[in-house]
Amino acid sequence: MTVLEIVLLLGWGTLVGVDLVSVGQLMIARPIVAGTIAGLLIGEVEAGIRLGLIFELFQFDILPFGAVRYPEYGPGTVAGVAATHLIGRPDAWGIGAGVGLVIGVFAGASLHWLREANARAVRRAAPALEAGDVRVLARVHLGGLGRDMRRAAGITALGLLTAWLVSRDAAALPPHVLVATSAAAAGGALAAGVAGLFRLIGSRRNLRWLAAGLAAGTAVLWIA
Amino acid sequence: MDRVKPRLGAALLRLFVVQGSWNYDRLIGVGVGIAEEPLLRELRSGPDNGAAYRAAVARGARFFNSHPYLAGMAVGAAARAELDGAPPEQIERLRAALCGPLGALGDRLVWTGWLPLLSAATLAALALGAGWWGVLAFLVIYNLGHVALRWWALQAGWAAGTQVVGALRNPVLQRGLGAVVPAVALVFGFALPLVVRWLVQPFRLPGAIACGVVAVVGLALLRWQPGRIASLWLGLAAVLVAAAGGWLWR
Repeated sequence: MTVLEIVLLLGWGTLVGVDLVSVGQLMIARPIVAGTIAGLLIGEVEAGIRLGLIFELFQFDILPFGAVRYPEYGPGTVAGVAATHLIGRPDAWGIGAGVGLVIGVFAGASLHWLREANARAVRRAAPALEAGDVRVLARVHLGGLGRDMRRAAGITALGLLTAWLVSRDAAALPPHVLVATSAAAAGGALAAGVAGLFRLIGSRRNLRWLAAGLAAGTAVLWIA
Repeated sequence: MDRVKPRLGAALLRLFVVQGSWNYDRLIGVGVGIAEEPLLRELRSGPDNGAAYRAAVARGARFFNSHPYLAGMAVGAAARAELDGAPPEQIERLRAALCGPLGALGDRLVWTGWLPLLSAATLAALALGAGWWGVLAFLVIYNLGHVALRWWALQAGWAAGTQVVGALRNPVLQRGLGAVVPAVALVFGFALPLVVRWLVQPFRLPGAIACGVVAVVGLALLRWQPGRIASLWLGLAAVLVAAAGGWLWR
């Protein structure tokens, strides 16, 4: 991977990381977007879309309500695409998915640390905030934004480093190990996506709509 | 009021970073205070040397939580109430009363509706070979709805002030709430066979069977122990077991 590619992925992963909560929430943090753009940046569009789709299914099992703690898949997807690119073999995307899932754990934990750091900053500034000091208000808020940017950059850097370390050993793996890990990643993603859907749709009435959709999708599959 | 109205644009821009200082003490309160501040500047020129302005800014930055896309409704309503001279206790009650409904409405409308609906449609499009154009379409369509919702919420809050709860009964919203989850079920159902085929396409029969076994066992575990088994750990365990198994079976 070239220095330019590393810089591009680091920048993209940082944007993806801050989009999740702090800035915009334009959904570039969705794996399907994060992975595809990461793939475009390093000439691995197919792997980017594949890993994006896999992590998008994992994402279906997450509902980001209120203060709930959840894994973060955006930077993980970027790391997964990087790992797949570095290994440079067909079916390496299963290993890429493994890297992405590990980074998802750390990224989720880092969100909790960020929120605690923000809370400490708010507590320190509480008297000024209660006095309506606009400068302190802006400083606390900008401090939070800066902290999240550093967090996202750090997590992406960790992801790229992990991808590089894993790729050194994974490049020599027998082909059937790559197939096995890819099949496991795809199966796990399908399980997560369908479990998330069942949680989402809840009532029996909606199962009819699901059945209708399944019938239509199967028909298209038949025709296509 | 005409002098204040253009500042709605500034408030809207700030609402895009309303969660920038999300924390466990005030949740999005500080971000709400930041977004509300441009609308309160009218109070700076009051006879009290800006005391009303500072008090309003302080109130605006206290504990608050809602769906981020709908936080503008609270921002607009509270700012309007401040400018109309509503008593502080009434404004505090208004903010407290809006937390639950704005959170629940946004969660249902966006996190369990608009977003998974378009996500599922994008999965189907990609499985049918749309490529990165499908992703671009997702971003554009999603954000048309997203930005429109943010703008509507801010304007509705600003227009209604303390009467803002009525805006939540908007018939379009209510119809949307009723239709969105069945639509998610329909579109995800449509996407699922296409996605399954696309995912297993690279494998020969043993790989496809392994994928199916992991999917079925994984789904059973996630449904059997919801909340106790996280899909992330399940996925990670599946990949690690596959790697170890494949390595040993050389």
